[in-house]
Amino acid sequence: MRSADPLRRTLTLACLALVAACGKGDGRTVLTVYSPHGKELLEYYEQGFERTHPDVDVQWVDMGSQEVLDRLRAEKANPQADLWFGAPAEIFARAAGEGLLAPYTPTWADKVPADARDAGAAWFGTYLTPEVIAYNNHAVTAAEAPKDWDDVLDPKWKGKVLIRDPIASGSMRAIFGAVLARSVVRTGSTAEGWEWLRRLDANTKEYVLNPALLYQKLGREEGTITLYNMPDIATLEQRTKTPVGYVIPSSGTPLLVDAIAVVKGAKHGDLATQFYEYVSTPQALRDAAVKFLRIPARTDIPTDSLPEIVRRARTEVKPMAGDQKLQRDSLDAWMKYWDANIRNSRRGK
Amino acid sequence: MLALALLALLLWSVVYPNVAVIVGSFERGLGDWRAFAASPADLDALRGTIIVSIGSVVAALLVGVPLAFLLTRTEFRGRRVLSGVATLPAALPPLVGVLAFLFLYGESGVVTRLVQRLFGLHEPPWTLTGLTAVIFVHAYTMYVYVFLFVSAGLERYDTTLDEAAMGLGASRTLLLRRITLPLLTPSLAGAMLLVFMSALGSFSAPYVFGGGARVLATQILVSKLNGALGLAYVETTVLAVTAVLALLLLRWLEGRRRYSMAGKGRATRSALRSPVARALLPAAAAAVVILLVLPHAMVVLVSFARDGAWTTQLLPPEYTLDNYRKLATDQELWRPITNSVWMSVLATAANAVVCFAIAYVVVLSRAPGRKALALLAALPWAIPATAIALGLAATFDRNVPAQLRILLVGTFWILPLAYFIRNIPIVTSAIEGSLRQMDATLEDAARGLGASRWLALRRVVLPAARPGLVAGTMLAGVAAVGEFVASVVLYTHSNRPISVEILAQVRSLSFGTAAAYSVLLILLVLAITVGARWLEGRVAESERTVNAA
Repeated sequence: MRSADPLRRTLTLACLALVAACGKGDGRTVLTVYSPHGKELLEYYEQGFERTHPDVDVQWVDMGSQEVLDRLRAEKANPQADLWFGAPAEIFARAAGEGLLAPYTPTWADKVPADARDAGAAWFGTYLTPEVIAYNNHAVTAAEAPKDWDDVLDPKWKGKVLIRDPIASGSMRAIFGAVLARSVVRTGSTAEGWEWLRRLDANTKEYVLNPALLYQKLGREEGTITLYNMPDIATLEQRTKTPVGYVIPSSGTPLLVDAIAVVKGAKHGDLATQFYEYVSTPQALRDAAVKFLRIPARTDIPTDSLPEIVRRARTEVKPMAGDQKLQRDSLDAWMKYWDANIRNSRRGK
Repeated sequence: MLALALLALLLWSVVYPNVAVIVGSFERGLGDWRAFAASPADLDALRGTIIVSIGSVVAALLVGVPLAFLLTRTEFRGRRVLSGVATLPAALPPLVGVLAFLFLYGESGVVTRLVQRLFGLHEPPWTLTGLTAVIFVHAYTMYVYVFLFVSAGLERYDTTLDEAAMGLGASRTLLLRRITLPLLTPSLAGAMLLVFMSALGSFSAPYVFGGGARVLATQILVSKLNGALGLAYVETTVLAVTAVLALLLLRWLEGRRRYSMAGKGRATRSALRSPVARALLPAAAAAVVILLVLPHAMVVLVSFARDGAWTTQLLPPEYTLDNYRKLATDQELWRPITNSVWMSVLATAANAVVCFAIAYVVVLSRAPGRKALALLAALPWAIPATAIALGLAATFDRNVPAQLRILLVGTFWILPLAYFIRNIPIVTSAIEGSLRQMDATLEDAARGLGASRWLALRRVVLPAARPGLVAGTMLAGVAAVGEFVASVVLYTHSNRPISVEILAQVRSLSFGTAAAYSVLLILLVLAITVGARWLEGRVAESERTVNAA
């Protein structure tokens, strides 16, 4: 039996080492933030907040807007997140309707426009996000690039348009919703909008799983045109070597209200509101504008204190015509119809 | 008593969640079922699932069978190298493999661009999307099952039978049809079943190449994201039922014909006669070796590439150690690795204990209900991982002790539980295999000679079960440490495993970091494999010493 002892000792030691290695954290209070805003922005605020709150450990989980909602639903009985930072207001509105959010009225509540806040204070807008047409400026010149939504349907872009998979993407849902709502304004029905989406499907090269793969495919010229939100594309242009440019559609574009909310049943609701306030001070919003090209939703931040790109967006962007409420109420059903009947109906044919 | 306890455990952890899903699919009466039947997307997904499963079986057979014959029947230069790397795809965790394929054969992948440049094409020669892409990836990752099963079959195959048949004047086709194939039927059927099941539930490949292809495993997630949970339950039920039907069908086919060989297998390798084949074979073998190693090499290469710099070039233009440096210095980045290791250790330890008990009851006891126990222990194998995950999410999302529901969603424990459930079949069947080789009267004899139940278990049963126990837990550990499908549905921030972190890194454009994680994951898998072999060697040796003493 003796010969088995060293073996047993090794195993015991290995187990102990493992337990030690997996020891829990460093004793700081963990504030969990669900957010699609991306690593750079989140890390920036995380570090800033932790400097003034040394006993807090901000942990963010980066995922798509729609995925946040799905997760909050699943974790309803045992909420893991304290704060939800970022997603189109439409998605927040649905979460509020399902009782997933805890009302909180920030100190700057009266500084945002009426459509950038929830009547029940379940969520408030932090950024305004215009959707744009982006192109690979290595393969397509600025002169050639589409100037407006309808230009993207031109047969010359057949097989050149990359689309982020619309089901999980707040941006794509907003664009599709706006196209359908515009159709209702123009013709009284969604029929024209569906035809528009069918023609987009015909030009689409591929529906791409996530933004990273989308940027990669755009950079590598697997496709040369895409529709996405301005801050992400402008950041990509400034921060990476990806050859990308963008156009603000001339006839108007959906201007998403990107919101923030405290999660109902949050384990650290107090800290969550502190972080909520921290990321929405005029200083923090200016930082977000300078560093991450986000357009602040608060109207009390003077336009001339913002960087050029954001200034341009603030002045050039025309909101697209369409009933906001209709969009919010119908988007789920519209996306389901699109997924079932339009996706791939003409693509590649 | 033990049998009943185990039966209860399996009913609670395996059957109950799936029943919850089925019940959930009827929550709105037949409404969600009607919606399913009327939805072109869902029917498309069902069709896609069946095409992918059958296509993967065919593709895996086309690659695996010839390779198995080649490596067990012929002798040629490079055979050892080839057989050394033949099982390499099994060491590539699911999500990592798919990403490697994207970098290699994707539209702007290395191989694709190489071909494009070599032939001066304006367009990439192919695109890696849709069901074909999924089947292509499956052929690479799943041929290993066919290869292993058929090789094992051929090892037991007595080649003197062939000689006898040829001597009696049988043609090669007759030989193949009447002797070789019938004798290999069990191996082939087992392998086909395994490939079919894996392809049916496969999630990573359709998820990443999924824009153009729809399969049920990913459609479930789409429905869930869209807030149509009822529909997601219907899709899960349909997927699980398809899997169980396929299982029954293949079992039936397998059982119809059984041949066995008298005597021990004696396989011989022969050199090739034709000089052309002799010259070509090493070259072909070299090509296959390269194909097999490329995905791993690609992951390693990307892990050293600087993020964002690689656009239209053939290979990454800039290299750096940053991706590893980040992993080594950032505490947060290290967390997923300890998480994965810790959770697989917990799950696998539970598997070892519970599955040993199950195998013991099934093989060595006459307890009532042992047949049911065997069936339940095999069940998770037929249920795709997405379905298991959704079942757990539906069942353990609240605390209702009266309904035997405890709150696990959002806690650390949900993932080890998922891994445990997924690995029950493989560990149980491995231990069962070992126990069946033991003479069943040995335990009785030990008891008869006055050994306590515990002593008999420790000195007779456990040593007999050991080879299967080690092999089974090794496979379970490998599967758990790289698990992605159930993880992505159930993870929380506090227990996010490596595979989920890889996806998160991809999301934030850090392909290099994602690749560095992948390399670590591959190393972990290798460490587990090598560790298990070492352990098995040590235990066997110490046992010999004891016996000699």
